[in-house]
Amino acid sequence: MSDKNKSVQKTSSSRRKFLVRGGLGSIGLLALGSCVFINPLRRSALGLSESLVLPYSGKGTDANLWFEFTEENTLIFHSPKVEMGQGTFTGFAQIIADELDLDMNSIIVQAAATDTGILDRFTTGGSLSIAQLYNPLREMAAMMRQMIVNEASKKLGMAVDQLRTREGFIDHPNGSLSYAEALANVTEWKLPKNVALKPSTALKHIGKPIPRIDLHDKIVGAPIFGLDAEMENMLHATIIRPEHIGSSIKSIDFSEAGQMPGVVRVVEGKGWLGIVAESFSQALAARSKVNIEWDIPKVWTEEDLRAYLKVGEGKQMITQKVGAALEDDDEFVSLSFSSPIGAHAQMEPNGAVAEVKDGKATVILSTQSIGATQHSVAKALGFKTKDVNVIGKYLGGGFGRRLDTSHAAEVALIAREIGRPVKFSFTRKEEFQNDMFRPPTHHIVKGRLNEQGGIANLEHHYASGDVAINSLLMPPAMSKMLGTDVGAMRGANIMYGNIANRRAVQWHKTLPFATSFWRSLGLLANTFAIESFIDELAWNNQIDPIALRLKSLGDDETQTRISKVIKLAAEKSNYTNELIGNRAMGFAASIDVGAPCAQVAELSLTNGIVRVEKVTCVFDCGLAVNPDQVKAQCEGSIIMGISAAMHEKMGLKDGRLFPINYGSYDMALMRHSPKEIDVHLIQGLDRPLPVGEPPLGPIGAAIGNALRRLTGTRFTDLPMKLK
Amino acid sequence: MKISFSINGKSQVLELDGNTPLLWAIRDVLDLKGTKFGCGKAACGACTIHVDGKAVRSCSFPVKMADGKEITTIEGLSKDGDLHPVQQAWKDEIVPQCGYCQPGFIMATAAMLNEIPNPTDEDIDQNIINICRCGTYYRMRKAIHKAAKLQNLQK
Amino acid sequence: MMKHTIVGFVIIAIILSLSFSLESTNNIGQKTYQDGDEIEVMIGDDPFDKMMAVLLHKRCVNCHPGGDIPLQGEDSHLHNFDIERGPDDHGLAGYTCETCHSSENNDFSGVPGAPHWALAPRSMAWEGKTRVEIASQMMDPNRNGGRTPKEIEEHLTEHELVLWAWNPGVDAEGTPREVPPVSKEEFIEAVKEWIEAGAIIPAE
Repeated sequence: MSDKNKSVQKTSSSRRKFLVRGGLGSIGLLALGSCVFINPLRRSALGLSESLVLPYSGKGTDANLWFEFTEENTLIFHSPKVEMGQGTFTGFAQIIADELDLDMNSIIVQAAATDTGILDRFTTGGSLSIAQLYNPLREMAAMMRQMIVNEASKKLGMAVDQLRTREGFIDHPNGSLSYAEALANVTEWKLPKNVALKPSTALKHIGKPIPRIDLHDKIVGAPIFGLDAEMENMLHATIIRPEHIGSSIKSIDFSEAGQMPGVVRVVEGKGWLGIVAESFSQALAARSKVNIEWDIPKVWTEEDLRAYLKVGEGKQMITQKVGAALEDDDEFVSLSFSSPIGAHAQMEPNGAVAEVKDGKATVILSTQSIGATQHSVAKALGFKTKDVNVIGKYLGGGFGRRLDTSHAAEVALIAREIGRPVKFSFTRKEEFQNDMFRPPTHHIVKGRLNEQGGIANLEHHYASGDVAINSLLMPPAMSKMLGTDVGAMRGANIMYGNIANRRAVQWHKTLPFATSFWRSLGLLANTFAIESFIDELAWNNQIDPIALRLKSLGDDETQTRISKVIKLAAEKSNYTNELIGNRAMGFAASIDVGAPCAQVAELSLTNGIVRVEKVTCVFDCGLAVNPDQVKAQCEGSIIMGISAAMHEKMGLKDGRLFPINYGSYDMALMRHSPKEIDVHLIQGLDRPLPVGEPPLGPIGAAIGNALRRLTGTRFTDLPMKLK
Repeated sequence: MKISFSINGKSQVLELDGNTPLLWAIRDVLDLKGTKFGCGKAACGACTIHVDGKAVRSCSFPVKMADGKEITTIEGLSKDGDLHPVQQAWKDEIVPQCGYCQPGFIMATAAMLNEIPNPTDEDIDQNIINICRCGTYYRMRKAIHKAAKLQNLQK
Repeated sequence: MMKHTIVGFVIIAIILSLSFSLESTNNIGQKTYQDGDEIEVMIGDDPFDKMMAVLLHKRCVNCHPGGDIPLQGEDSHLHNFDIERGPDDHGLAGYTCETCHSSENNDFSGVPGAPHWALAPRSMAWEGKTRVEIASQMMDPNRNGGRTPKEIEEHLTEHELVLWAWNPGVDAEGTPREVPPVSKEEFIEAVKEWIEAGAIIPAE
């Protein structure tokens, strides 16, 4: 690997490495699952898993590296989580700066490689990084600070209570020394016990809107991403895979491609063909000369898909059951909703650089699953896991797409066959066709009011393809045990505790193409269905939709937190049911992973064109480590939500997933983004909650509810477009 | 074929297939990685650079057409080590999230401000048509207005 | 690449995508067609018929749109991202046509290109018009940029952007774009013949 790719880390020949053994608990979902085999119990477990912030679960038993001090008195934090845009590394640096008493500028955060780091078994995702690591990292940093003080005490021959830490230095009565000086020549470490964390009043970085630590790199175009990595003497590869759903290669003729300029080798894999050339453009040019005959057992159409995936079809699982169910001969309102297949469309295509040499493999890439990539590459090569080193870089967007990086194994196989390092990247078309899509959904929501004008019954029946089931995070045995797709379930249960009769029923099917995690999972579509329905109930009965929601909420801690975001959003937006000129407002709320969010979308209609002019967002994110970045996540979620709710739709064409590029895959642009996004944070808990996904909940329904007032039409299918 | 051009103020002579997209010459031959590969079809704008001061999507620009031209990439946008006003505004407004699309947006914005020094919201809507998946458009709009102010102050 | 030669009557199957193709191909009988119907279009031996069969083809119409957004693709959809014509038909200040389109087709990106890539001015909009309307405005100096019949002939038979229609390259998927239903040589011959004969627009 050439040095120029180590952009973030300063090269230094002598570093003090601080090794930590053990110390971190790991009670994951597995431990939870072992007692949930009968239905009512299983449901309560599901309820838990819906709101549970899974504990951090790095391997705690090996000698692993967290903190590394350089002689320049810089700290490198080898992060068990990657940075894909949410500002996670900045949050980590803030936590470290406070508990370790360091200047923000002297902290470098980089994703830990498998060779060195404590990697989280549950990958990076679910917006969990800060929420999971907040306490472990504070404790670890506080412990490190104590150890530095202890070493300084020994070197100076002074009592610990004479020493004070200050931004990387230890002040003592006769002067000061740097942390690096204190740590020099230390070989034996003693772990202090019972290290106290700083009181919240002493925190100078946590809770402050500090600029991102990766800001400079990202505005000058520093080579920090997976696709920026290179290795000495490397070649470039493109890989041909089946394009039609369920198809495979029948026959293949690459004789002409093999003769194209720059082509070094054509490598046949199981179900794929790799073309290796001196440059990527040569590999692409050769690719167009390959003739393949495909075996296409069935040409899937969108009609097939709609018939296949709907409420009433597939595996049924009651995910919420309170009070009585509506009977067919009851009088109630029923509405059907749907959402389409969604693409991740992250800007950086998936790729990898790999080298296999002397029985060892090195892979550099952008992934949410560094540990899983190590395992899959080792398995493909027949290597021991420890002989594969996976180095993670900054991600050019993740959103769930990079939980699966199975292509890394293919690149490693090609590299081994060629005997030289190989760099590979998906083309954009492949990125669209091989996405792990957000599954399409179908919903039927039923409900009725009671005599007091509150909601008597509310039922949400929802059909979805795989989200968590069959994914990396939910192996088949666990999927079977839980019996339902906990990803599709996000936001599916009725959150209003005061509704006496409420029910959520999942209908699950595995689709003929890969579907998986897409930012916020089921939350976007489920909230769209439920919150649109509640609005329709209110509208049709001339009830204020906010009053109806507040009336439907109970009074425990969580219900009160939901109430608060709803009330504040109504207040901050000056919510009204009335049209204001060519504008109207729509209201919606949701709770996801314990974080309630309410949004008001203000839309205008001019000459047949609808615009989202303003969104007011009130979000109870718990403790905000960096309020500015929490706001950035709200803004980003709202814009991505507008894109999903009003623009995006993958379809099928000739049995293939389509479209295959930006533009034809319609997404929100600058001109579709609201000019005003007014975010208000409530910090209703003293610990951080996941913030990257909950604000995607309300936006779809908030837009639909505004459209109802603006156009008189109830929009029930995403994307919502005026004809 | 032999192609010579100036890139970020430095002369370069390349020997390669003239139809190679300029993007790959910049990234893989000249090792300037700030210009990004997003779609390869001139749709997303992640590869936006300047050719003779105009915005060009380099994935769809054959290297032979760069012959004799002046090329600027994100690495050469700022002069004398200072940040370009667009970069400064981006920093002040803390725009980037994942950051991958940002060099393309910054280059597109810089090109627009050369032609429209005081863009209105409508100008921005019409002229900035790159794609950002993280949804940083809201902060970008603020940064573009700020960049215009900074640039006008410099004049 | 497909190539059609016309000897007497040539039968070409096209997929109908725009209603104006129906209105304009007046020699296909009285049957009512629906979008997506496969129909057979017979192009007569008459020079005007031959010329108009080309001018009404999407390779020409896509850049002679009725509005301010170019059309794109075999289905003549609005150009992705609603790219605008701008003040001089070359795009807007921040991005011009040349931001993406160069002076030749690009097989890597599938972005088409030719010298002077631009939209026809609004006065030369063809989208949704009949053959007679198009021919009339094409020959009207008030609407054709003050061109004489000779200059129109040159534009149609020599301008690189017009002749690009027979060398339209591949799309983003690598699929060759459809060429007009009359060969370039026959088209040039037909244009010359029609203009030399007085550029008579038949009553329809």
